[in-house]
Amino acid sequence: MTPQAVKSAPMPPSPWRNGISQAMCEALVRILRFLLPLALVVAGWAMLSASGLVRPIFLPSPLEVARQLAVLQEEGEILGPLWTSIYRAFAGLVLAVVVGVLAGLAMARSRLAYWGLDPLVALGFPAPKIAFMPIFILWFGIEDLSKILLVAFTCVFPLIVATWQGAIAVPRNFIWSARAMGTSEPQLLRKVIFPGTLVTIMSGIRVAVPVALITAFTAEMVAGGGGLGGQLMYAQRMLQTPTVFVYIVLMLLTGVVFDQVLLALRHRLVPWLAEDEL
Amino acid sequence: MLGLRAFVLRWSSLALLVAAWELAVVTRVADPQFVPALHDVARALLDLAFEKDLWEGLAVSTMRALVGLALGTAGGVLIGTLMATSARANAFLGPLVATTYSLPKASLVPLFLLWFGVGNTTNILTVFLATLLPVVVGTYQGVKSVPQVLVWSARALGTSPLAIVLRVQIPGALLPILTGVRVALGFSWVLTLSAEMIAAKTGIGKLIFVYGESGAYAYMFAGIGMILAVAYAADRLLVAITARLLHWNDGIAAHREGTA
Repeated sequence: MTPQAVKSAPMPPSPWRNGISQAMCEALVRILRFLLPLALVVAGWAMLSASGLVRPIFLPSPLEVARQLAVLQEEGEILGPLWTSIYRAFAGLVLAVVVGVLAGLAMARSRLAYWGLDPLVALGFPAPKIAFMPIFILWFGIEDLSKILLVAFTCVFPLIVATWQGAIAVPRNFIWSARAMGTSEPQLLRKVIFPGTLVTIMSGIRVAVPVALITAFTAEMVAGGGGLGGQLMYAQRMLQTPTVFVYIVLMLLTGVVFDQVLLALRHRLVPWLAEDEL
Repeated sequence: MLGLRAFVLRWSSLALLVAAWELAVVTRVADPQFVPALHDVARALLDLAFEKDLWEGLAVSTMRALVGLALGTAGGVLIGTLMATSARANAFLGPLVATTYSLPKASLVPLFLLWFGVGNTTNILTVFLATLLPVVVGTYQGVKSVPQVLVWSARALGTSPLAIVLRVQIPGALLPILTGVRVALGFSWVLTLSAEMIAAKTGIGKLIFVYGESGAYAYMFAGIGMILAVAYAADRLLVAITARLLHWNDGIAAHREGTA
């Protein structure tokens, strides 16, 4: 969602541009243009809270939120919960990738596996998985395990479907050629079908990463048991509005950072693919 | 009868799985304390069918999900169209959409609880924000993908800018918009349930949590089964409506080919 105007924005002539490469200069302008609307929103927030129209218990100033961040950091209430949430999200995601890829490949290659899994996927994919939270609490408690499994349960369906779609799209000729040369079914899976499916698996993972984070945060808010979501609910119950804001901003930043990491990884791992192919 | 056979074959594995569940509990392979038997869940469902708790909870939650979705769809189409047709609006809104897309909207529930207290406002506002963004993205991409030639032709025929948006660009973007609405519909149930589980006095999300906390697990399973059924039916209904609307759309396309 890069703004259209940015791409075609003419570079203003400037005396110091000779020293810096044009590409760097353009990148800087792009980043500044991206940050400007966000800065405007924060400025609007600051003005609203400074005007005295809203009581600070409902809307603390950005400065107060920043100060609270420093206080919480000193008390060790930031990095600990953050790691707990990230650990839960990624443990669940890894589980979902392993199970999802295996299940997707099996569905594409075996009629029995397709018969067994297709109804589950058809019903499970559109279901609001958070509805299972009470069952997961009953079975797996309110600590790490129930959250990790709910994340895995939520992320596994997009991964099954992505893997399955990639695997059935592997050209028949490749499979026939490999068979004609005497390739066994396990080898066929490992050397032809899995590599041919890699791109769709990666796009499935890209969809699943924000879902994993969102599910982990939400599960923590619903069930408690620490993490950023648990801390957020605790702060709300204590009516500590600045702390509530700190945790919301942290969740926002976590999502943005992982989105950027994925984007960078994609450029490194599959540089031959165009932007819209993944 | 081929359709029936295919149907039975398709869903037979699920029937086997459900039978295995019942058998495992009846033979005490699975602990009934943790997994209620299927016949107990069925009895709970029958029991609930004659009481108003379940129906009231379902009605309240469905109302919240659908009102939030309707508001989110209206707002999303408006903002998406604005972003696709105005470079200035896009330069301002694009970064905001990109930044807030991966924010769990449930994290705003505590804030709304502080501002509006427990109730419909908090719930619907959360659903509205969660459903807004997928529709914005769908509309933006859809309107951008409408061939410029169509816009120029309409303009040459003297169509006003507003009429171009309403009669050319939005109808042309209907498929991506409805794809966005389908994603948003899924979000609307998740956020309704999450918000109700976090803090609510009414709704099916609250109800299943109350059953869980009081140890009425058969009732909890029955409630979860009902909400899953409603969400599934809503998704199927939207797919059917989309097919209906786009049938009309394809008809227009064929008509145009016929006259060309």
